[in-house]
Amino acid sequence: MSEYKGPPAADPGALGVGTSRGGSAMLVAQSGLAPRHGRAGGILGGLGPLVRLLQGWISTYFSLLLLGMMALAIGLTGVQHGVTLMGEQIKNALVLGAIYALVAIGYTMVYGIIELINFAHGDVFTASGFYAFGFASLFHLDSLATGSFGGLILALVIVFPLSMIAAGVTGALIEFVAYRRLRDAPRLAPLITAIGVSFLIEGIMLVVEGPDNVTTHMASWINGEAFSIAGVSVGYTDLFVIGMALVLMFALGAFVRRTRLGKAMRSTAQDRTAALLCGININRTISATFFIGSALAAAAAIIYSINYGVLKWNIGFHLGIIAFTAAVLGGIGNIVGAGVGGFLIGIIYVFGGSLFGGEWSEALIFAVLVLILTFRPVGLFGVEVTTRA
Amino acid sequence: MPDRFRSLFRADTGQGQRTRGNTVFWILSSTAAALVLMGWLLPWFVDAYSAGAGFSPQDALISPPTGVGTILIYVLAVTMVILVASPLVEPLARLRGTTFGRRADRIRLIAALVGFALTVVIWFLVSVIQEEPLFGSFGPGTYTDSAVWLTMYGYALAALVYGARPWVVGRQTLAFGIAVLPFGIFLPLMFHQAPDFLDWAAGSLAIYMLLALGLNVVVGFAGLLDLGYAAFFAIGAYACASFASPTHNIHWPLWILIFLGAAIASLFGAVLGAPTLRLRGDYLAIVTLGFGEIIPDLATNNVFNLTGGPNGISGIDQPKFWFLNFSTSPRWYYWSLLLVSLVVIVLLRNIERSRVGRAWVALREDEVAAASTGINTTTTKLLAFAIGASVSGLAGAFYGSIVSIVSPDDFSFSVSIAVLSIIVLGGIGNIAGVILGSFILTFVIFWVLPNMNEWSTTLSQTVHVPGLAGIDFSSYTYIIYGLALILMMLLRPGGLLPSRARQIELESGGESESLAAVQGVA
Repeated sequence: MSEYKGPPAADPGALGVGTSRGGSAMLVAQSGLAPRHGRAGGILGGLGPLVRLLQGWISTYFSLLLLGMMALAIGLTGVQHGVTLMGEQIKNALVLGAIYALVAIGYTMVYGIIELINFAHGDVFTASGFYAFGFASLFHLDSLATGSFGGLILALVIVFPLSMIAAGVTGALIEFVAYRRLRDAPRLAPLITAIGVSFLIEGIMLVVEGPDNVTTHMASWINGEAFSIAGVSVGYTDLFVIGMALVLMFALGAFVRRTRLGKAMRSTAQDRTAALLCGININRTISATFFIGSALAAAAAIIYSINYGVLKWNIGFHLGIIAFTAAVLGGIGNIVGAGVGGFLIGIIYVFGGSLFGGEWSEALIFAVLVLILTFRPVGLFGVEVTTRA
Repeated sequence: MPDRFRSLFRADTGQGQRTRGNTVFWILSSTAAALVLMGWLLPWFVDAYSAGAGFSPQDALISPPTGVGTILIYVLAVTMVILVASPLVEPLARLRGTTFGRRADRIRLIAALVGFALTVVIWFLVSVIQEEPLFGSFGPGTYTDSAVWLTMYGYALAALVYGARPWVVGRQTLAFGIAVLPFGIFLPLMFHQAPDFLDWAAGSLAIYMLLALGLNVVVGFAGLLDLGYAAFFAIGAYACASFASPTHNIHWPLWILIFLGAAIASLFGAVLGAPTLRLRGDYLAIVTLGFGEIIPDLATNNVFNLTGGPNGISGIDQPKFWFLNFSTSPRWYYWSLLLVSLVVIVLLRNIERSRVGRAWVALREDEVAAASTGINTTTTKLLAFAIGASVSGLAGAFYGSIVSIVSPDDFSFSVSIAVLSIIVLGGIGNIAGVILGSFILTFVIFWVLPNMNEWSTTLSQTVHVPGLAGIDFSSYTYIIYGLALILMMLLRPGGLLPSRARQIELESGGESESLAAVQGVA
């Protein structure tokens, strides 16, 4: 372990957030979430105590404000367009949210353990979508899956593990090549390589897959309406997407909570030096974190492919930022938070779109990101530990 | 950590000042050789069968020696070989354990001077006296002029570098400036036969150089990672487009609009910065990234009916004075941008050395310590953001006027990344490095790659390999950005020309914290 020369730089005024809150927060970021010391009002501080009071108030009640606005948006949609459309949109939001949640978990795990925004994660998502497409055409899974129910199960059993392993190896390889050498370097360095890796993957996909939409035939795998409530038709695809995401998330939760490797991850996230002193292989643990995060992204990509049926070389970039917003919303480093945040972001995306028009959805998400980071960087479920000077 | 990082620099840190000056020396001498080589190959390269205008040595090889001119060209070829080979000789000698010192310098200096004189004489024979029989026929469409200019410049540069080597090594920045500036001034004359190249120099190189200089203030000086820099570029461009186009029927002159664009952009910089600058480095990065995505989104969605939606605003005015008609030739844009860049470089250099610049360094090294010594961290950071944004807005106003149509696609995330790659490649925090980086990267991305399509098609026809024809080389842009960022960060985090502060840190064996500060981390 000659690489390791000291503990990660601790931030004055920031503590590990929610370390042992009933086992809900699993990988918890060490620091970096609270705004740095002093000056509650920022540049506005000079305008007097009123602004500071307002800002403090918004920070404290941010969760309530956000949830209230979301409820308002859902309600308004119901009033404007009728209950059926509202139900449809809730379904869409949950499906989209499941995908965001799975991708967000990858961001949150990596940030929790090495405090790095892994910009390449969104592109690992896209790449694993193409892996799955490749495996599907290699083993002729399309005809198998559309043939019979047993064939569908077999196709899923083939495509999920293979793509997840391929994506996991990609993620671990990225960590090994681009981040490991810079683990103790200044924070800007791995951040810049992360952007570089993101662009490299996008560039490779652009060259290999071309600049246009690529139709995967997975959208035809699962068909049919399962049931309908109040005129809202819920398809088997929707059930599959949400169910699969929930199963994977609970499996991950159990993994992190119950296994030795999960324990190693949690302790590495809490204090790398102490983990090292306890004999935990830090490098292997971090590689495993990248592997698992990327494998979940691969699962999300397959689900995306089954639901939407199209992939494009650069979908991962925006999807990645939105998923990152979900991770921040849930409190970065917090796996459960990322899962919940994913669904919340799905709701904001879909209902924002139905209220303001679809072209505003992404701008709205970025605005939410800026607002969270400005007013409540610890996320909805984090405990505010800012020490006001 | 410092050991591991320092080991990456070990080759540089051994000799300090001398080595650093040598870097510039090698860059300049290699550039001189490359220019000579380019001047040599250009006529042949542009049209393989025109045989240039009989200027290049290979023409002399093809045609039998018939007169004085051909003999002169033979002599010229010898000097060219000496100069082109010279950057290779010294590393080879070092590999064998010997050095060529002053003697080799003297030989090269003589070659450079003789070559320069010969080039002038031959140019005089060809262009002024029109001695056709000596050199073969030539018409107005040939690239002789560009070739002669390049060769002359290469020889002059070689003469400067080899003749004044100690001075170049001692005053490297000044030497670099003196070597580069005439090239910049004469460029429109050199390439007047190639308007594409001028378009590139004005529309890509100069614009991106300005952008990189501005981002360098934010990332390099103040140590704040800004990934949404294209937003301010867009704001400047849209400001120019709104106030100088038929869309709103306002036609203000460009000279007012560049200041207006800069002012509006810096206002936006301050507005964005005010709530977000309390965040730490990587959070600031993601917020600025979000901002950089929101601004083109707003433009696409035609906010307040100002931006023209996805099609953007077209028909932007191009300035026109008595005889200076900017719309007919890019050279006037080029010269104005050169002047503006020079002013910006001088201003930024002075700011870097002023009280504000020192405050930025203090902030970059340790925010808490800086705050406790009385630096107002918020104002100082905001100032960095606003100044960086204003340079970007200035570049945006020029860009809008040059291309005459702005649309949201021009300001995507890849623009921000291109500018970041330029800085990382050249050297974070070093103005000279940033300029060098913008030369290299814009040349590769905006000149070589677009032309590669054509070149490879031509090549596929000559060598009959059909596979070469269909490759779209411009899709490799992203791979180049990615590789530049990753490889520079892993192998040479200081960039090609590391900033002096960083160099001093590395020489004195600074500790990890101060090293971190020099790396540009808040």
